[in-house]
Amino acid sequence: MTAEQFLSYFSPERFIKDLRARSKDGVLSEMSKVLAEDDDVRDPGLLLEMIRRRESLGSTGLGDGIAVPHGRSTAATQTKVVFARSKRGIDFAAMDGKPCRIFFLIVAPYEDNRHEYLPLLGKIVETASREDIRKKFMDVGSHEEFQEVVRGAIGE
Amino acid sequence: MSDRVQMLVALQDLELMIREAEDPTSKETEEALGFTMQGIEKLQMDCEQLRKKIPKPDLRLYDRIRRRYHRVVVPVVSRICTGCFQGLPTSRTRTIPTSRPLPTCESCGRILYWL
Repeated sequence: MTAEQFLSYFSPERFIKDLRARSKDGVLSEMSKVLAEDDDVRDPGLLLEMIRRRESLGSTGLGDGIAVPHGRSTAATQTKVVFARSKRGIDFAAMDGKPCRIFFLIVAPYEDNRHEYLPLLGKIVETASREDIRKKFMDVGSHEEFQEVVRGAIGE
Repeated sequence: MSDRVQMLVALQDLELMIREAEDPTSKETEEALGFTMQGIEKLQMDCEQLRKKIPKPDLRLYDRIRRRYHRVVVPVVSRICTGCFQGLPTSRTRTIPTSRPLPTCESCGRILYWL
């Protein structure tokens, strides 16, 4: 997956510089609402229900301050990602018990005809697993700066 | 959108999540990425509880279509059923009186869900 292919799932509207939420459920709710403003995803209640249920399978807080809530829903017609950051950090029941500061919410359609969901999930985890990239994600102030970090990381 | 259709969409999403959690390939892929998928019993209980809340005629229709297609409820995008990609008549609207049967595609029979 090239940097541009990766970035096609993100948008300035789905960039949250600093989350207002202070709890895990608040983060899921705030990010789902942003996603539901998109033309391809319209039902925040259904999305939130699906994402909460996925969390009941096991927290998507991977450790090292990263969480990647994700799932597939009939309420989505395109695969979309929301990037969000919390400077104060949020208890997300992560595997290492540490607060999460960088969040990627991925929602894909029920039918993943283009087989993009799992490769995208893998690329996000791979990119965010790098300590140098995580530090840069914590410093980005806009979607454009986020794009530059991704181009630097994936283009290398 | 009708709460009746919303409940069926939630059921369909939940059944998909359970299938993926039970599917060895999906489970292995997610676990290799560092995610855990261990609360499947909770999802199965949620599924049973949700089924009890759905009106019986709607659930019967859902299960009947389910025997034919694994995707029962499909979004309508630009007046097209995304199950069979046939256009819908202009008389079709998203408003569903509570006493009426659920809207289905005249071509494939799937339940329609207006985004």
